[in-house]
Amino acid sequence: MKCSVRLWLVVVLVAAWATACGERNGTTRLTFSGSALGPEAVVLRRQLLRFGERHPGIEVELRVTPDAADQRHQLYVQWLNARAPDPDVLQLDVIWTAEFAGAGWILPLDPFALDADDFVPAALAASRWRGRLYAVPWFVDVGLLYWRTDLLAAPPRSLSELREAARRLRNAGTTRFGLVWQGARYEGLTTVFLEHLGAFGGGILDAQGRVTVDEPAAIRALTFMCDAVSLDGFVPSSVLTWQEEQTRFAFQNGDAAFMRNWPYAWGLLQDGARSQVANRFAVAPFPAEAEGRPTAALGGAQLAVNAWSANPALAWALVRFLTAPEQMLERARLATQLPSRRSLYDTAELTEALPIPIEQVRQMLDAAVPRPVTPVYSELSEILQVRLHRALSGQQTPEAALREAAREIRALLARSGLASEEETP
Amino acid sequence: MSGQATAIEREERRLARWLVAPALVFILLGSLVPIAATAWEALHGHDLRLPWLGRPFVGLANFVEAIGDPRFTSALLHTVGFAAITVPLELGLGLALALIMHTARRGRALIRLAALLPWAIPTVVAALVWRFMFDAQAGIITAPLRTLALVGESFDWFVHPLAAWVPIGAADIWKTTPFVAILLLAGLQTIDPALHEAAQMDGAGAVRRFGTITLPLLRPALVVAAAFRMLDALRLFDVAYVMTGGGPGTATEPLSLYAFIALMQRLRFGYGSALSVTVFLLTFAFALIWVRTLGRSLVGDRT
Repeated sequence: MKCSVRLWLVVVLVAAWATACGERNGTTRLTFSGSALGPEAVVLRRQLLRFGERHPGIEVELRVTPDAADQRHQLYVQWLNARAPDPDVLQLDVIWTAEFAGAGWILPLDPFALDADDFVPAALAASRWRGRLYAVPWFVDVGLLYWRTDLLAAPPRSLSELREAARRLRNAGTTRFGLVWQGARYEGLTTVFLEHLGAFGGGILDAQGRVTVDEPAAIRALTFMCDAVSLDGFVPSSVLTWQEEQTRFAFQNGDAAFMRNWPYAWGLLQDGARSQVANRFAVAPFPAEAEGRPTAALGGAQLAVNAWSANPALAWALVRFLTAPEQMLERARLATQLPSRRSLYDTAELTEALPIPIEQVRQMLDAAVPRPVTPVYSELSEILQVRLHRALSGQQTPEAALREAAREIRALLARSGLASEEETP
Repeated sequence: MSGQATAIEREERRLARWLVAPALVFILLGSLVPIAATAWEALHGHDLRLPWLGRPFVGLANFVEAIGDPRFTSALLHTVGFAAITVPLELGLGLALALIMHTARRGRALIRLAALLPWAIPTVVAALVWRFMFDAQAGIITAPLRTLALVGESFDWFVHPLAAWVPIGAADIWKTTPFVAILLLAGLQTIDPALHEAAQMDGAGAVRRFGTITLPLLRPALVVAAAFRMLDALRLFDVAYVMTGGGPGTATEPLSLYAFIALMQRLRFGYGSALSVTVFLLTFAFALIWVRTLGRSLVGDRT
């Protein structure tokens, strides 16, 4: 009797091992890698399971990678550089697509028919490199201006109005700070700068890939930011050590009249148990001066297929499944992540699913601008962060900081063989 | 007789070689090979992000680039300046602490335990706690200063390029002074108390005895403690990484942190390796000079 129990156990274990061995038994295994934290994980697991049900014989394994973007990026680079065939499908931050495409690590997706017209243009632009599509926008994120409805009747329509209102409220002692944004030396600072740049009609690179970050519009934008911190003082100098969460705490405690942040903060600020400003705030696009236009830095994630995947067709099927309207709606409902398909913004389902009024979200999406699409983006951004931080902490004038940044970025592009024709020395 | 002795000696030597071999293999694999590999990588142009550029041999081009790179030169200055300021402070405070521990009559164990505690706390944890203490909004160091109006309303340690060094220095000194103190305490205990008694008989005061007996006899311990601390300070990384990340701008960025950024964030393996090799050469050169000059004079004093 005992002996037969053991025998059964062995049989079961062998069977389990055999099924785990994937293809030998007729099951194909796909691997997916991305962030799976909290509600995101619930949605993702549910959807991967559903994909498996619809495709019998395919099993999708979720490979969880660190949530910190830098660390995930490092891992991806190590894997892809070593030509590892898995994960088959990768979740990329919008700013990595050009880098991975340029390196030849992800497959061009043009051969697969995608209804590209439906996607948010800025997100689609970030998925292209040298005219070809390398990724599919999965969800989008945009920078917003949060403002207090109990202190103001309407959101500021220009940066000057924003400055006046912030200064007045702070000087009157109504709030401790006027405006708060992410000013620590990290990627967030680049997005804040990008929004100021757009507001003054400037940019980092132009359409031809020339560096324009030392032009007068850019200098005016950085001067505005520096003055806000040191001269006018409506932005506290401590923002130079703050990331998203510290700014949210300040706004949530009622310490700030305005905050620049991402949509994720909305739900947390509405939580009356922790927030002092629940139901007393709204969002608007970051305002612009007459010479520029309201600009929202585009964030979010895209899905791409590993160039060394053993099953590119199946991997594509998974990408298409995850970026289908049905899955995007579920993701919006459960994880509050904004769909990248424009057609969804006309549906009642999305209006119900999103906590933020959908008209306001649509406005932000129209203002969305991708960060420079170049394989050397992260180094370019790091150069900018250092220079911006120096200017904001008073170690350099805005003009000198941007001149140096432009010089270093030009050298970077030349060294990488990416400089535009006119700038090649 | 002598022939037999040499046979045994030979046997023992062979055995000794076998016994030492595993350790040598470990040193070879664990430190010499990686150092050599890094040095070799430093001679190549290699950027993980730009595979189309390949991995060409570029000779010393990475080092030449470093010399022309203002961020490198300022990181070098930061590193050397940090070592030159904190190490003497740590030695002074460590010596005072050692003297207290040495002369304490009561509660010796308790005093030693309390003095050693900072050394036992992981550096990253210590750095985080110090960062909270210097926090501009609610830090227990900043808040009273603001109440006394010694600093302005908007003052923030981590936003000022010079003030940002204060928390880093404070955390480092607090953390490593106990280490110096323990080394010096060991040195103090080797000094024969009879010397002090004799001097006291001759009417020498405490200060005189400290200057003519304690300090000279403590020199070997001081030299060793200073060497250890200098080598650590020249490799400064974790405290700066945790507290300021090198900011504001790059005002508090030491060489090791810049090398880390070049390697792990920019993924410029060639240039990053060159920077790492520079850190290695810097510490190695210091150790060599230190041992050659002070080490020799120590030996000279004894003979």
